[in-house]
Amino acid sequence: LARGMQHTAVRQAHRKHEPTFHDKYGNLVLLGGAAVFTTVWGYVLTQLGMQWGLSPVGRVTPTEWRE
Amino acid sequence: MLASRAFSLVGKRALSTSICLRAHGHAGVVKAEDFSLPAYVDRRDVPLPEVAFVRDLSAQQKALKEKEKASWTALSIDEKVELYRIKFNETYAEMNKGTNEWKTVLGGVLFFLGVTGLILIWQKHFMYGPIPHTFSDEWVSAQTKRMLDMRVNPVEGISSQWDYEKNEWKK
Repeated sequence: LARGMQHTAVRQAHRKHEPTFHDKYGNLVLLGGAAVFTTVWGYVLTQLGMQWGLSPVGRVTPTEWRE
Repeated sequence: MLASRAFSLVGKRALSTSICLRAHGHAGVVKAEDFSLPAYVDRRDVPLPEVAFVRDLSAQQKALKEKEKASWTALSIDEKVELYRIKFNETYAEMNKGTNEWKTVLGGVLFFLGVTGLILIWQKHFMYGPIPHTFSDEWVSAQTKRMLDMRVNPVEGISSQWDYEKNEWKK
């Protein structure tokens, strides 16, 4: 019967479930959110001129300090 | 005298209840609200809910229920499905079906994290002062050499990461 249906196609006689908000706009929201996120944080991390206090190890070449 | 007054009050209460009974018309029972009756539920762990899904049958459905009382081999596939749908709302397959909700959730989360980044931009623009000169590249490199010369944190810290023989950072 309808209960045991795993392989047979579900008979959609009067059960056409309406697409939900997530079905209609889920992909859009996901990609849009990801786009906003990467744009904003890409700018913040590289262009904004924040001092992030990164470790000098492996990054800074020491130079002479004695006068 | 007080006792008799109390008694008459009790009698008055009994009188008012009987008036209420007359007002309702029948057995003095309040009509049962829907939420107090056994309810139908679509749950994986409740395979046979307390009531059928469809409570008020149409004439067509009533006729079908009558036909159900006879031999079931006489029922067509569609009639069997209709009987199923009278009794149950969703099939287990429909109940267990996943949704696309995660897309909305994740997209929303990322969006609002992006809004947090906008707050940082505002802060940098309107709030923070200029970066102190001690963060310039020249100063930081001189500062780093001085720290290494002093052997700052030699066990596990910055000096432990510097190869003093080769004069470079350890790989």
